[in-house]
Amino acid sequence: MSTSSLTRSLRRARDGVGVAGTGRPPDARPRRVLTPRTLTMLALVLPSIILVLLLNAYPVLYAGVQSIRDGDLISVGDFVGFANYESVLSDPVFWQAARFTLVFTLVGVFGSWAMGMSLALLLRRRIPAGNVFKVLLLLPWVVPVVVSATSWNWLVATPQSPLPILAEALGFGRVLFLANPLLAQITVCVFKVWISFPFMMMMMGAALASVDNNVYEAARVDGASGAQLLRTMTLPLTAKSTYISWILMTIFCVNDFPTVFLLTGGGPVDSTQTLVVQAYRTVFLDFETGPGVAIAFLMTIVLVVISVVLYRRVRKVEIE
Amino acid sequence: MSAATVPATSPRATSRRPIATEAELKGRWWRFAVLLVVTAITIVPIAAVLYLSTQPALGSTVTAPFTLENFTNVFSGTNVLLWLQNSMTVTLITVAIAVAVAAPAGYVLSRGRSKLVGGYSLLLFVIQSLPIVTAVIPLFILFARLNLVDSLTGVTIVYVGSTMSVAIWMMAAYYDSIPISLEEAAWMDGVSVFGGFVRIVLRNSLPGVLSTAIFAFLLAWNDYLIATVFLRSDYNYTLPVGVQTFFQQNSTNWGLVMAVAVVMMLPPVIVFGVLNKYFSVGGIGGSLAGK
Repeated sequence: MSTSSLTRSLRRARDGVGVAGTGRPPDARPRRVLTPRTLTMLALVLPSIILVLLLNAYPVLYAGVQSIRDGDLISVGDFVGFANYESVLSDPVFWQAARFTLVFTLVGVFGSWAMGMSLALLLRRRIPAGNVFKVLLLLPWVVPVVVSATSWNWLVATPQSPLPILAEALGFGRVLFLANPLLAQITVCVFKVWISFPFMMMMMGAALASVDNNVYEAARVDGASGAQLLRTMTLPLTAKSTYISWILMTIFCVNDFPTVFLLTGGGPVDSTQTLVVQAYRTVFLDFETGPGVAIAFLMTIVLVVISVVLYRRVRKVEIE
Repeated sequence: MSAATVPATSPRATSRRPIATEAELKGRWWRFAVLLVVTAITIVPIAAVLYLSTQPALGSTVTAPFTLENFTNVFSGTNVLLWLQNSMTVTLITVAIAVAVAAPAGYVLSRGRSKLVGGYSLLLFVIQSLPIVTAVIPLFILFARLNLVDSLTGVTIVYVGSTMSVAIWMMAAYYDSIPISLEEAAWMDGVSVFGGFVRIVLRNSLPGVLSTAIFAFLLAWNDYLIATVFLRSDYNYTLPVGVQTFFQQNSTNWGLVMAVAVVMMLPPVIVFGVLNKYFSVGGIGGSLAGK
């Protein structure tokens, strides 16, 4: 990274965090408000602003309005105060979904990270057919979820599926992967890890590639063991990428709809229902728009807070 | 590899080399074995799709162990070709618009000095962290009034909206890697800001553009939620929604389903296979890191 772009990203970082002044470089000319440069920049960014306001900001704000009304998919309905929130928050199904969302996210983030990081470490050094492995291992992430969910269903869903037959042959008795609530939860989590680990593998692979190999050579010559190297060097040196990959994966997991919906539909008895699935089902299958939007909007508020905090932390880490 | 990079003249390296090489070799085969097992288990579900798609369907007269009749049946007897066309249209238009809008916007995010730019960047980050469900419900109501429900146009618009924030970030992250001195030199020569963006920065950003395009492609092609909410009639379905109709019978004809699944997964696999050297998830994460 060149010095000039480093300064620039530092400046951007400061702007993002809003600390310690504007950080304007010493060579900056005094600014007029509407210079040709400003106008050009405005023209370049304007289409995206219009789209973002119309397709992202407006719907979210509208959802806020809907969540305090008793409307449906056609009309806005009457103002009902916080009735929707009250009914949602007093519903045990919501709390069950919230709990499973938490479990699903934790397993998804750390499971996929552990697997992706391990594979990235394995693939880091030269290995026979290394590139073939890399490409094959990326497939779960590239293949559409609809396809993989179909395939997983075929593999596990009914007693006649291959995996239950295998389990029975191995003496585990009748294993109903998607009919038993706990097993269904485990299956959904494993499915999520299977889909997500390639993303982690790519991110951590990129992070490992940027670590200077000489550092390792030096440590190894000094007699450090593999485990020591991992703990004292690899993990700290890739800590920032790890942190960012966790943030992104948390967002992916919390917002994930198809993984759960296509494999189990949220069942059995709502055991694998996440908040997103519950919001979808409440609005589009039960036609209760108000409570459904309230669920989605509760998630939105929590995610806005979390993402603003995380954004600032990431930017701050960079300055230090 | 590591042993070979140490200069042979170093006495320490020479004395250690035989041991290191042996350990290295041993470690290499050990890693290979682990990778082989993990990869084999990992791709079982994908191999199953390929295998089942070539197996004779229920009640089929084909006795060969391997057949392509599922594919011919799927293309001649169902709407799959139409859905494939719908998926393609929606995806390609999404990619085109996403890149066309995000490429200039990313430039502003990368080079802008104003505090407003920082605010916009934060706004985009917050937006990409929100569940699509939240936006889908109000958009459904809005689109119902505009006659955009059950229309491919409507779905395309929603896709464009949901790619926008990440696409802009990815473009900005790529521009960050292009030294600003190139544009400054051009400005000195009297090139306008816009000219500098197009002729200097954009022209050198093919990997960034491709990365963003792949991202938008995967998002639109693989989407299930938006399509299932907005598309109502069979002839408007995209592949992910269309294939669900195959499950409505009591006994699913897995051969047909898997043939459609193969059709569905080929485009992203090909796109990713051909272009993956341009794609770095670093683009998504790197933008966060300000790399």
